[in-house]
Amino acid sequence: MDWAETIVQSLKESEVSLVSYVPDISIYKVIRLIEEDAYFRAVPATREEEAIGIASGAYAAGRNAAVFMQSSGFGNCINALGSLCIAARVPLPMFINIRGEVGEFNLAQVPAGRATRPILDVLGIHYYTLDSDDRLADRVGGALKLCYASRQPLALCLTPLLHGGQIA
Amino acid sequence: MHRYSATQTLLRLAADAPLVSNLGPTSDELWHASEGRRDRNFYTYGSMGLCSSIALGMALSTDEKIVSLDGDGSLLMNMGTIATIGREKPVNLIVIVWDNELWGQTGRQPTHTAFGTDLEQVARGCAIPKTATVSDEEELASVFTQALQEDGPWFIVAKIEERDYLPVAPVEPEMTLYRFRGTFVDRPIPMPSH
Repeated sequence: MDWAETIVQSLKESEVSLVSYVPDISIYKVIRLIEEDAYFRAVPATREEEAIGIASGAYAAGRNAAVFMQSSGFGNCINALGSLCIAARVPLPMFINIRGEVGEFNLAQVPAGRATRPILDVLGIHYYTLDSDDRLADRVGGALKLCYASRQPLALCLTPLLHGGQIA
Repeated sequence: MHRYSATQTLLRLAADAPLVSNLGPTSDELWHASEGRRDRNFYTYGSMGLCSSIALGMALSTDEKIVSLDGDGSLLMNMGTIATIGREKPVNLIVIVWDNELWGQTGRQPTHTAFGTDLEQVARGCAIPKTATVSDEEELASVFTQALQEDGPWFIVAKIEERDYLPVAPVEPEMTLYRFRGTFVDRPIPMPSH
């Protein structure tokens, strides 16, 4: 299994069946797999904060849900994470593609990309950086299990060294 | 029309339908109107703008009718979600927007709906098939009854006049979420296996 298939398999093992996302070319591959798989309901959102609301609502109604986004939009959902997910203890897996990493060509994407993990730190949100295939299923599956056991949002930060994807 | 009395009317009609309420007085009044006893109320405490996004996520996860009690100031903060509702078209979602044309709690500053923004027209422009604007309780009860019976999604703008607020409801987010979730699943607290 490649990285995208591994993420999809881990989501299924944790019974995550709704995915709300704001598109990103680097992680297009995993979004396409989710869109094409009848197990999932994929919900494209207009903005990252909206995706957090949709996923939290799904969880409230008994369905596990995750979000996918790019680090440039992560800043749009800080208040939703604080005042909804952390406050109510919503276990929300967040897959965030990190800009400003190796191979970045656009200086405008660097600050928010570099700030994403420090912001997660000050929010008290646990995260793992995924930058290789090494034990990827253990990392993703284990992180999802931790997310639901701790009932808090948790981030998986995806980098070009993992997905090797186009950056745009 | 006043929100508290209109909320009581909606509760009489909604039977057991899950309700999601916008932060502040909308949630406080829902709690008071439910006498603090309704497990299917999902009160929000922050995340301004996300009330109807939360309701959308619920509607995509159950066949039951889901009712969002949103507000004009809040929805103006996240108008994109109207487009997402129009795109996904969950037949079981009913959005009610309490439109007082004010950011009431922050000092009664007029919102954009006081200057011509018509949220029902926005919803129609976003391909939401069933929309209405109502300004008295009788009209609201009539269209809400229809919305509970007919496929949506529905988007109902309820024009209201602001009144003094009731006391803040003695509720908190984690208890609200897991009590609400417990009406959908047997084990609201996930217990992962070893």
